[in-house]
Amino acid sequence: MNPSRPLPALLPAALAACLFAAPAVHAQTAAELAADQDTPGDVLTSGMGYGQQRFSPLRQIDTRTVSRLVPVWNMSTNNMLGDEAQPLVHEGVMYYTTGKSTYAINALTGRMLWKHELDYGPDIGRAALSGQVNRGPALLDGRLFRTTLDAHVIALDAKTGKELWKSKSADYTKGYSMSVAPLVANGILITGIGCGEHGGRGYLEGWDPATGRQLWRRYTVPAPGEAGSETWPATDAWTRGGGPAWLTGSYDPALDLVYWGVGNASPWNAQDRKGDNLYTASVLAMRPKTGELVWHYQFTPNDTFDYDGNNELVHADVTVDGKRRKVLMQANRNGYLYVLDRANGALLAANAFTKTTWADRIDLVTGRPVESAALKRMRETGEQITVAPSAFGGKNWNPMSFSPNTGLLYANVLDNEWDYKPAKQPYEAGAPFIAMEAKWRFDPKAGGTLKALDPVTGKAKWQHPWTIANFSGTLATAGDVVFTGTMEGEFLAFNAKNGEKLWSFQTGSGIVSQPITWEHGGRQYVTVASGIGTVYLYFAGDERLATIPPGGSLWTFALTP
Amino acid sequence: MSTTSRTTRRGLLAAGLLSLSAIVGGASADDTAPPTPADAGRRLYSSHCSRCHGPNMVTPGTVAYDLRRFPEDQKPRFVLSVLGGRGAMPAWNGILDAEAIDALWAYVLTRGR
Repeated sequence: MNPSRPLPALLPAALAACLFAAPAVHAQTAAELAADQDTPGDVLTSGMGYGQQRFSPLRQIDTRTVSRLVPVWNMSTNNMLGDEAQPLVHEGVMYYTTGKSTYAINALTGRMLWKHELDYGPDIGRAALSGQVNRGPALLDGRLFRTTLDAHVIALDAKTGKELWKSKSADYTKGYSMSVAPLVANGILITGIGCGEHGGRGYLEGWDPATGRQLWRRYTVPAPGEAGSETWPATDAWTRGGGPAWLTGSYDPALDLVYWGVGNASPWNAQDRKGDNLYTASVLAMRPKTGELVWHYQFTPNDTFDYDGNNELVHADVTVDGKRRKVLMQANRNGYLYVLDRANGALLAANAFTKTTWADRIDLVTGRPVESAALKRMRETGEQITVAPSAFGGKNWNPMSFSPNTGLLYANVLDNEWDYKPAKQPYEAGAPFIAMEAKWRFDPKAGGTLKALDPVTGKAKWQHPWTIANFSGTLATAGDVVFTGTMEGEFLAFNAKNGEKLWSFQTGSGIVSQPITWEHGGRQYVTVASGIGTVYLYFAGDERLATIPPGGSLWTFALTP
Repeated sequence: MSTTSRTTRRGLLAAGLLSLSAIVGGASADDTAPPTPADAGRRLYSSHCSRCHGPNMVTPGTVAYDLRRFPEDQKPRFVLSVLGGRGAMPAWNGILDAEAIDALWAYVLTRGR
């Protein structure tokens, strides 16, 4: 939600909430979800608001007071496999997830109230190739929702942790898995599937939050005869065409549109799937009640580098060419920062925010990339090329934040490239399917940069360099503080206006998560999970991380009196 | 491990390499020379194992096991781990057969060099 949106836009949702809310306890309603960003006593949605700005109006912790920030409590998450979830906070209770556990915690003391443990078979890691993680829960009407690595969606009683329902989405032994934090929009629980490295066929689903009944499924790769199928060859390539949807979408209640990023086409090597391959590497605008597709925009037609389109979609009011627009912004793994009109999907700006050599530019008239000579040559001959960014992307999944105060996006940008060569690989159900050979190239002295980006130009107003690539989300506040973490475990605060480093605290492991801030009894708190993981830890071969111990815990901070 | 890590870093810098680089991915290349078991193992490793154990078995070795130090005289332990899984490592029974695991073992013995 943007703070400037007039209140009447919320009324239909508020009315619906009155009609359908469970009356037993004071349960967070649809209206409260829609107002999340403006009600900092709670954090009820992934992204700290439907518009996923990860911006808080709280200002007790500001550029001056942040030096007095100290830990209030710490709780182990009993997890060695990466802590990437965003916690939720409701009425003094914090909810948090890992790949296998769900916790309710007294948000003021750090003492656990209840836990729910999942049990997986010994083959579960085959499906969850990018990490056995979870990115957080969702809340509605006293129910807590989460997804599972074996591709189920479950609902728990938020008060007790008792399982209310469990619905199967897919067969995980075929390479389908879920880590997504669900989205509740217009009364519908929405989830997306992960399958991009196993030759799956991606989709989004709508569920009845009360019963777990599946209401709709929208495949991200059309079957023959469906709209978009003309962008696939007349083979069975579409049946294993990818298009995963593993990061949480955003929602505009006024337009009643859900926006969801769709990932890579499969396999990575595009030689056997000529065409644009809709709706891979795209954003979809859909009706939450039905999954009806209202508009789409494709970032990377015929994606051959695993650039994806999953990254978070941030809403804001931004001036483009002198006109105030309601936009959707994505810093794509392909290295371009896209600004779209979120009513109709019109492309307003697309500028590089890191080194990009796969394309020369994005054509604003056609909305398509102008591919570089090197990429054209590789497509023609199959020869190896060096191209930026690599599949790690100009920015990975870890979300950026947007401050309406400064008008800037705060993103941990990656600086990298790779040698890439298409190869042949037969498809085998349940096995990884990528069909290429490559060599990563990260500068060992400068793996990434925290950038304060102008959304329209893609240029950094200020930046802070990292030695090791950074996979932490960022958080922006009205106190003009930007919080983020590092792979080496530091939790840091920067001045949002000029990038001055204001404060830091060494946590017990690397930080690859999503910090939040919230308020209770007049005191502002900041919470972040520490617990190293991500595809970079496992797949980059960076031996410097040998001295960063794994093991998850939650940290909550506040100002000393 | 920290000693190994520091040594490796010094090695990288001494060699003047600009990049932190390593081979990833998974596919059967169109080689002309007859493939050895270790070659076949390298390809299987790239597609099935490198995602967690690192490119060319180069890994910080904290969460994923550093296969470069797997004891050479403990092949049965290796086979058991691959088939049945161990900790976060998934069981590959039903996907990787005895021949594939033999090839992977041959590759592990190369230490990625």
